[in-house]
Amino acid sequence: MKPTVPPRWAERLLTWFCAPHLLEEVQGDLHERFQRRVALAGERVARRQYAVEVLGFLRLFALKRRPDELFKPISINSLMLRNYFKIAGRNLIRHRAFSVLNIAGLALGMATSLIILLFVQDELSYDRFNEKADRIVRIVFKANINGGKINEAFVMPPTAQVLRNDYPEVQQATRLRNFGTPRVAVGNQFFVGDKLAYVDANFFEVFTIPFLKGNPKTALIQPNCVVISSELAQRYFGTENPIGNVLYFKKGSDKLPFRVTGVFDKIPSNAHFHFDLFGSMASDTEAASTSWLTSNYFTYLVLPEGYDYKQLEAKLPNMVETHMGPQILQAMGMSLAQFRTKGNQLGFQLQRLTDIHFNSNGSNELEAGSDLKYVYIFSAIAVFMLLIACINFINLSTAGASKRAREVGVRKVLGSAKLELVGQFLVESLLLTSIALVLTVGLLPLALPIFNDLAGKQLSLGLTTNPLILPGLLGVGLVVGLLAGIYPAFFLSSFKPVVVLKGRFAGSRNGFGLRSGLVIFQFSISICLIVGTITVYRQLAYIQHKKLGYDKEQLLVLENSWALGKNEAVLREQLLNDARVVNVTTSPYKPAGPTDSNNSLAYPEGNDAQLMRTLQYGIDDRYIPTMGMEMAAGRNFSEKLTTDSSGIIINEAAANAFGWGKNAVGHNVTRVVDNDGTKKVYRVIGVVKDFHFKSLHESITPLLMVYERNWGLIVKVKTTDMAGFLASLKTQWTQFGVEEPFTYAFMDELVDKTYQSEQKVGVILNSFALLTIFIACLGLFGLATFTAEQRTKEIGVRKVLGASVASIVGLLSKDFLKLVLVAMVLAAPIAWYAMNQWLQDFAYKIDLEWWVFALAGLLALLIALLTVSFQAIKAALMNPVKSLRSE
Amino acid sequence: MRRTYLGEFEELVLLTVAVLHESAYGVAIADGLEQQTARSVSLSAVHAALHRLQEKGMLSSRLGEATAERGGRRKRLFTVTALGSRTLHEVRQVREQLWASVSPQALPTFSV
Repeated sequence: MKPTVPPRWAERLLTWFCAPHLLEEVQGDLHERFQRRVALAGERVARRQYAVEVLGFLRLFALKRRPDELFKPISINSLMLRNYFKIAGRNLIRHRAFSVLNIAGLALGMATSLIILLFVQDELSYDRFNEKADRIVRIVFKANINGGKINEAFVMPPTAQVLRNDYPEVQQATRLRNFGTPRVAVGNQFFVGDKLAYVDANFFEVFTIPFLKGNPKTALIQPNCVVISSELAQRYFGTENPIGNVLYFKKGSDKLPFRVTGVFDKIPSNAHFHFDLFGSMASDTEAASTSWLTSNYFTYLVLPEGYDYKQLEAKLPNMVETHMGPQILQAMGMSLAQFRTKGNQLGFQLQRLTDIHFNSNGSNELEAGSDLKYVYIFSAIAVFMLLIACINFINLSTAGASKRAREVGVRKVLGSAKLELVGQFLVESLLLTSIALVLTVGLLPLALPIFNDLAGKQLSLGLTTNPLILPGLLGVGLVVGLLAGIYPAFFLSSFKPVVVLKGRFAGSRNGFGLRSGLVIFQFSISICLIVGTITVYRQLAYIQHKKLGYDKEQLLVLENSWALGKNEAVLREQLLNDARVVNVTTSPYKPAGPTDSNNSLAYPEGNDAQLMRTLQYGIDDRYIPTMGMEMAAGRNFSEKLTTDSSGIIINEAAANAFGWGKNAVGHNVTRVVDNDGTKKVYRVIGVVKDFHFKSLHESITPLLMVYERNWGLIVKVKTTDMAGFLASLKTQWTQFGVEEPFTYAFMDELVDKTYQSEQKVGVILNSFALLTIFIACLGLFGLATFTAEQRTKEIGVRKVLGASVASIVGLLSKDFLKLVLVAMVLAAPIAWYAMNQWLQDFAYKIDLEWWVFALAGLLALLIALLTVSFQAIKAALMNPVKSLRSE
Repeated sequence: MRRTYLGEFEELVLLTVAVLHESAYGVAIADGLEQQTARSVSLSAVHAALHRLQEKGMLSSRLGEATAERGGRRKRLFTVTALGSRTLHEVRQVREQLWASVSPQALPTFSV
């Protein structure tokens, strides 16, 4: 029969709370009574009463420890501390290889996470340099017309004025109109590529852009005034004072004189716009328009301190009613109410200035924004990198525990308390981290330019200027040092001196489970990152090779051929006669990159309820063949038919949207031609097959093509010697004697540019994945080294008994490979979920196929195998005489 | 005359230690008390009292032998010190003086 025992929990409780010097007698008495009660009243009663009695001992006298039973306070005395450093230093040097592995991993991890910290800080700092940053909002236009979504970052010309007049909470309203990059003439010099915007006179009262010369309040009141950046002032006028000088903007055949009235310092890189020139809005004739049917003006409002912009947003529908409604009625013969009953919506929204960077998703944004998602992803990567580096330290320290066991034993025998030992090991890990930190600081200036290049950022370390970097460095160092050191410290200091000093210490299996778990964790993350990288690259390749509906190869765009004037036609004829040229079209419309403001409202004739926003291309008869587009029905424009000026070609998406499907040819389309609501009716002569004119993030929307005289040449070339063709083209160009330099672009490059941000993410993710795997492999390499060392004798015996090298390598690698396999299984669902989320952003996307996961796993497996087998082979090739001799 | 204060339960414990003489330890004292007073006495109360009495210097203790039913744990055996003995005697003397002064009519009769 099993001896009756008191309840275990009560026993444990008692041993925990009772002072050690009282425990023996108290427990003895309790047990004696318990045994008698079992005999008298039975086990159940005895056990219950035992518990009651134990609880009875929760008294001060039983809890109170004798002074010598308390933890000894850790004496931080300098002698001991010096000893810790000395021992730590000796250990670092004795185990050089592991120190290098640890330090390299930690330094890489810390450098990467600090760069990411800088990146995140920069991303979150957008537009905050403005003194009124918290009070500025931008008003944007959103509409849903016949199922087509409109989301525009700019609004109508009178919006700013109306808001300021009608709503007292709008303290200031200012507008900006993007004028692209006109050619600038200064004296007899020409400059290209500088960005111009027209802004209202109060622009610099809203945005904090410091002036070096001129008065920001008055500089832009007069028409034809311009303020320029200090860099441009230097470039345009050298050392001369630019104020009062005149420069000319040339766009098309226009040449507009502007007087320089101010010089501003450069716009910080973390602003959502970067213009080099600000012209006065008074010079823009359309700025005074009262039309609510045209948009072009980015409009920013300053609200009172502490005012919730949602309150103003709630009042905006009223503005639509009173100002936009009448004009819609006039232009479309339909009131807003009628318009809405058909499920259409339109209205304004406000965006906080500081949110614009992460919400630049409207059409016609000034600059490509960013996505908060990437801030999260990169932050997560930073944390994981640090964790992986810490794990290396933990794994190597605990695996090498046997080497320190004797030291711990001796220290304990000589009177070290456990906490003192913990302190000692923490000193060691902090020392290691400090060395890594120094290395990090050395590494950062080298790594930052590379990252800036990849991410298109201008981050600088700013040890002295950035208030976050020093605390960041020290904080990361301290956290990493403690995180990495705390577990090994407790693990190592818990050894029992008796066991350790008797030499019966089986160190290698201690903490084996934990180490396995940590290795699995490291490799799960690595595999996730590999899957991520492969998926991003596959999606990019898919985009680049997807049939766009036209042929982007060897398509040369000569956008500024307008400069040739009537000679453009001459050049076109010359090109058409060139054997290397397949076709030439005169049209500025490229199915890639940002589409200029060429939106237009249209509806099937007689059915204005179907009014919708379409994109409009003005093309000639050679456009469709030059681009390699195909007709789904009907015919192309023809030079010979004068009626084609009222003909129209629509894409399949438009044919479907208008409800005609395959029978579109012959129907009529009514198009709102200008801002005043003038309409013109076109007859559909053909339907072009759908082609992608936006990025593959978006679906194909309705497109109308009209026969129109235009500027700009697009040339389809067929040659193996593109350089030679370009050279001869340049000669032809210069023969016309125009000042405009010969510039060109390739269509496929323009298409690629649309996916710049994805490409950046791809490259960054790839580098992070590589780094992560590298750090994880450092740890694995260390572990493999330990295992090989510990099993030297075993390997020797096996070899003597006839084991082959291959079988020994397999023996040593097997354990690690198992871990990687488990990591693969764990990582697959996480990676699948994450990448599925990322792909949701694309209207056209790849499928996540199983082989990607298999490939990622295989890669990880291969890398792990390479890492481990180096040590394994080394161990297996060792002469058994050497390893067995020393017994 | 100033002497250390002795609570009623402490006095009983101290007396029981004296009764048990050489074999006074926790369980024995608790059992003895239970028999004498016919009330249930918890071990923790006894231990607390013993601890206090020892702190006051009225008891001394040493570790005794271990038994199987105690799971091999030793007992702590208590003996009354000279101070303890004097205190007990003083308490008794006070009581006896008081009894001597009580007139028999002052207390109502009762039957046990």
